[in-house]
Parts: sequence; structure tokens; C-alpha cells
Amino acid sequence: MNAQAISLQDFRAQLEQLGKDVTREKLPDEERVQRAKDAFMRKLDGRRAVDLDTCLHCGMCAEACPFYEATQNEKYAPVYKYRLLRRFYRREMSPMRWFFKPFTSDITIDDLREWKHYVFDACTGCARCDMICPMGINISTLIRVTREGLSAAGLAPNELTDLKREQDAKNSFLGVDADRLRELVDQLADDGVDIPLNKEQADYMLLTTAPEVLLFPGALAANAKILNKAGVKWTMFTDAFEAANLGYITGDTPMLKRTLKRLVDKARDHKIKTVVVPESGHGYHVIRWLGANAIKDDLPFDVLSMPEFITREIAEGKIALKKQANGTSVTYHDPCRLGRKGGVLQEPRDLLTEMGFELRETASNGRENYCCGGGCGEFALSEASTLRQQAFELKKHEFQQAGADEVVTGCASCRFNLQSGAEKAGWQIPVTSLVETVAANLAD
Amino acid sequence: MENMTLLDFARGPGLQWALWIFFFGVLWRVVGAMFLLGTKDRSKHRRNHYIRDGLRACLTRSAPAHAFEEKIRFQHLTGYAWHIALFVSVLLFAPHILFFESLLGFGWPHLPNTIILFSAAIAIGVLIALLIRRATHPVQRLISNVDDYVSILVVLLPLISGVLAFAHVGARYETLLALHLLSVELLMIWYPFGKLMHTIMTFPSRYQSGTFFGHRGVKA
Repeated sequence: MNAQAISLQDFRAQLEQLGKDVTREKLPDEERVQRAKDAFMRKLDGRRAVDLDTCLHCGMCAEACPFYEATQNEKYAPVYKYRLLRRFYRREMSPMRWFFKPFTSDITIDDLREWKHYVFDACTGCARCDMICPMGINISTLIRVTREGLSAAGLAPNELTDLKREQDAKNSFLGVDADRLRELVDQLADDGVDIPLNKEQADYMLLTTAPEVLLFPGALAANAKILNKAGVKWTMFTDAFEAANLGYITGDTPMLKRTLKRLVDKARDHKIKTVVVPESGHGYHVIRWLGANAIKDDLPFDVLSMPEFITREIAEGKIALKKQANGTSVTYHDPCRLGRKGGVLQEPRDLLTEMGFELRETASNGRENYCCGGGCGEFALSEASTLRQQAFELKKHEFQQAGADEVVTGCASCRFNLQSGAEKAGWQIPVTSLVETVAANLAD
Repeated sequence: MENMTLLDFARGPGLQWALWIFFFGVLWRVVGAMFLLGTKDRSKHRRNHYIRDGLRACLTRSAPAHAFEEKIRFQHLTGYAWHIALFVSVLLFAPHILFFESLLGFGWPHLPNTIILFSAAIAIGVLIALLIRRATHPVQRLISNVDDYVSILVVLLPLISGVLAFAHVGARYETLLALHLLSVELLMIWYPFGKLMHTIMTFPSRYQSGTFFGHRGVKA
């Protein structure tokens, strides 16, 4: 085996170095507040107005939030996390603003600094709260808009700002670049896995992520094996391979668009028909669901997650799976942005069953699944490490109740969080990748 | 004579002004929110049964998903008890039906007064329980504002004044009836300004949630 992953500890150590040398733009407080308000103003439309006008203050959303449930801190209730946005709406945008304004305080720089903790450290945008709200309010989007306001105000956490700047300059992050990808591809070639780089006339464009390259190269190899087995014409581009989007994670919308446009332009220039997204929940979410909206045009290609691609190829008879798991029991952890916010809920379960695994669901699963605790960049935030572990304990409890032999997931970030959380908790449970499991069970 | 004047006011200009404020306030708030518009979702849909998904969410959000059921049982049950008791008290009480008949031109069957009284007692009891919870539960206490308490008060007053008028307790019947009508008018005036608007906004909110998630192939 030539392709070697770095250890979990080394990856964590790399994350711990983030943000230490970040230099911030010096802005007067008034300017920061104004930028946040401008971002709120841009993002609040009729749908969000209906959401904000419908909230009953019933507080039920708290019961869906892993951070509230793990800590019982009332300030982690999702409804509180978007309170700042609601205040802005009532003062500045609501049709009743002339009535609300005298009773509603203006946003201050202290508010923005306080809310930074709620929307970055204590929210992964998992959208579980969206599923419990009796009014049907899209709570996670309201919190996301708040995150975007804070980002516009220059208040995103240093770690994410560090990563964001690196990706903006070099397309990827954590030191991963075209050379690092080529190096890995060469190593995988020595291991017998062929990854065609920068190939013309390909129909499929495979993406990867920096965490996958560094920590889970086996998942990249698995994707390649599956695509090769399916016999499709595919490639990876060394200047457009990163599926993660730090613009999305930090709430920096202009960067989200820039990053996405690079991928779209590359695919369009090479007449790519389908972009295949690797195990990256938010990567899939951004390209599949936000892509066309961000570039304000229809995407010139289809977007498939790996579970969708594999399911389709099996249905078309291009690949088959060996049923050799012999009843080994597994629990599938739904990545929030692939499942609840992405719609890829059934395919992973069908694949695991097809391979002969006994599927043991956690009490909360599918669209009600608990977040791993570290999604949407939270895994990189040093100040959130305790909260993250507390949220992981909820997952651990449900995993233990399900009692499966191993956990399988479809997102590198979830996999890292779950492995890391289990290690810190001193709990021995294999957390594996869906695509690696599939690749290991491809029939000849 | 003075009491009759109060009743006359409650039945005449008071009711008229309350209706105008209610009607235009609701219209202003709904149309104003809608005027903020939104951009069309350009992503390729996984499912395009928008009307079905939207209507489905309008219905299914009345029952919590299984994973959450146990944690929100109190809110869920009190919510049902409150709304059912309120509708029974308002819509199935014989004098109310006569009032609606005078406005609409048609009526409907009523329930016996003892059931209405029992129903009103449940509504008042649930509302007081919700008020206590709002004042004591850490999350609800933190997120509550003046609107939350005023809204409970303006809904509670017509119920209490209605029961007192029905029982002829505390003052002359005409005075109690005038107070009952005025409390209803207060509710109507407050309605467009506060969270009681949820009774209207719930449906577009649930609908858009259903279509948003349905577009992605997820049941909301």
C-alpha cells in the first residue's frame, strides 16, 4: 500500500494550528454592524419574512437541537440563534416596522460578537430543527442568514477564515494542492488504482476534498474503482477538484459563488455531463442544490452523489455487488446535507442491504438523524471542542442503543468527527465509509 | 343608561373600528411580507409534486415526527386541547351562532351550554398552564417578549368575560356582555400586530416548507 493517510491525531494537530496567524481587516464597529445589516437585507425575502412572521415562540425547536439537548443551555435553542435576525426584520423590514421599531432594540457590535458563538460554535446548520417546527419554519436558513451577516461583518472564526483564504487562493486547503493530488494519484496508481487526470472528452468529473486526500485516501481510491468498474469516461482536474466550499461554510456568499463558478466553468469548458461529488455532505449540498441559484443559471451538467451514481449503475446492470457481508450489522449515519437537506436517504440503505449487511437504525434516523456534532466547519473550531464532544455523546448513545458492529457514513467530515469523538470518548467502534464498503464488495 | 351606552358602543362603533383594524392590519401584514418576494429555486428538482408536498406539510405538521414525540408531548397535547376547546367555545355556542348568523345569513347546530362551559374552562386552564410554562421554562422565558404575554392576555380576557357573562356573575348582564364584546374587539385590534397572526401565516409557512424539502425529495 503506497497511499498512506495521515493519522487522526496528526489531522487534529493540523486543525489546531489554524487561524493563529490570521490578520483581520480593521473595521470600525459601526461598519461591521452596517455590513451585517446589509447582508441581512440582501437575504431576507418573502419566504423568510413568512418564516419570521409565523414564529410562535413555542420553543419546540430546542428539543431538536443536539447542542441544546446536550447542554440544556437555553441560548442554544434554534429560535434564540436567529433572534438577532428577527430583531432586524421587525425594526427595518417588516410591514409593521413602524409599530415594532420603538419596542425593538437595534443590533449592536456586542450582539454580533455574542451571536458568533451561537451560530458558529453551537450550530452546524444540520436542519433538524426544521423538522420539528409545528409552523414549518425553515429555521436553519434563518440561522444561516445570521451566519452570513456575521461573516460580512468580518466576524467569522479565525480557523474558518484561515481555511477560506487558503481555498480562495489555491482552490483547496489544508496544504492540499494540485501537486499533492498528483502525488496521491501516483501512489494510488502504484496500488493498482487508475485515476485519469485532466483527461479530455470525459463525461464524468469526479471531485474530492482536502480531508479525503489527507485522511481518507481510501475513499478516493474507492470512488475511482467504482467509476472504473462502471466503465464510464471520467476524469479529475488538478485545478478544479475540491468539492468543499469554505465560502458556504463561513457564510461568505461572494466566495461561495467564486468557488462554485470555478468548478462550473471547468465542467462547462470540458463538456462534462455529470459531476460526481465524493463523500462530502456540504459539497453535495452546495453544488446540487445551491449551484444553479448561485450562478443564476441552470447547471450545464447533472450532479450526483456517489450513492446515487452507484445505485443508478447497479440498476443499469453496469456494476454488481457481492452479497458477502454475512449479516454483519451496521448503522448508517446520515450526513445532514446529504440526507435531510439533500434527499439522499434511501440509496445508502439499499446499498448496505444489497451487500448483505444487517441494517440497524438509530432511534433518530433519516430526516430526523442527529448531526455528528462537527458539521459545517465546526470540526475545525477549537473553542467548540467541548460542545462538539457533548453533541457526539448523543450520537454515541444512539449508536450504542442500535448495537451494530460498525457505523457507516457518506461524508468525510462526519467520518472524522465520529472517529475523533469515539476516540476521545474511549469507545471502540469502527466508523467506515460507504464508498469504501461498496468498492470492497464490487462483483467481478 | 350608562351601561347601555357602553353596550351600544361595543356593538356599534367599537365593533366597526375593531373589524376595520383587524381587516386592514391583516391585509397589510400579509401583503407586505409577500411583497418582499423571493427568487425562484433554479436547482433541478428531485420531485416536482409541489402542491401535494405543500398541502401534505400543512397537514402533517400538526403531528410531530416520531423521533420528537416524547420530548414535545406537553406542547403537543396542550396545543390540541387549547385549539379544540377554543373552537368549540367560539363556534358551537348558541348565542355566538346567532351573532354569526346575523353577519353571514346562515347558522349551524349548537352544543349544550354545559359542554360549552366545560370547553371554556379547559381553554382557560390550558392557557394559564401555557402562561406558567412560558414564565418558568428556561427556553420559553428567554425567548418570550411583550407580544407573547399580551397575546395570551387578549385571548384570555374574552374567555373569562364570556364565562362571567354566561354565569351572570360580578355585574349586571348588560355590563358583562359589553365587557365581553370589548375584550373580543381588543383581541381583533391586537391580532395583526402580534403573534396571533400565526393562525393565518401557519399555512403559507408550512406550505413553503413542504415544497422546499419536497423539491429535494424529502418529506417535510
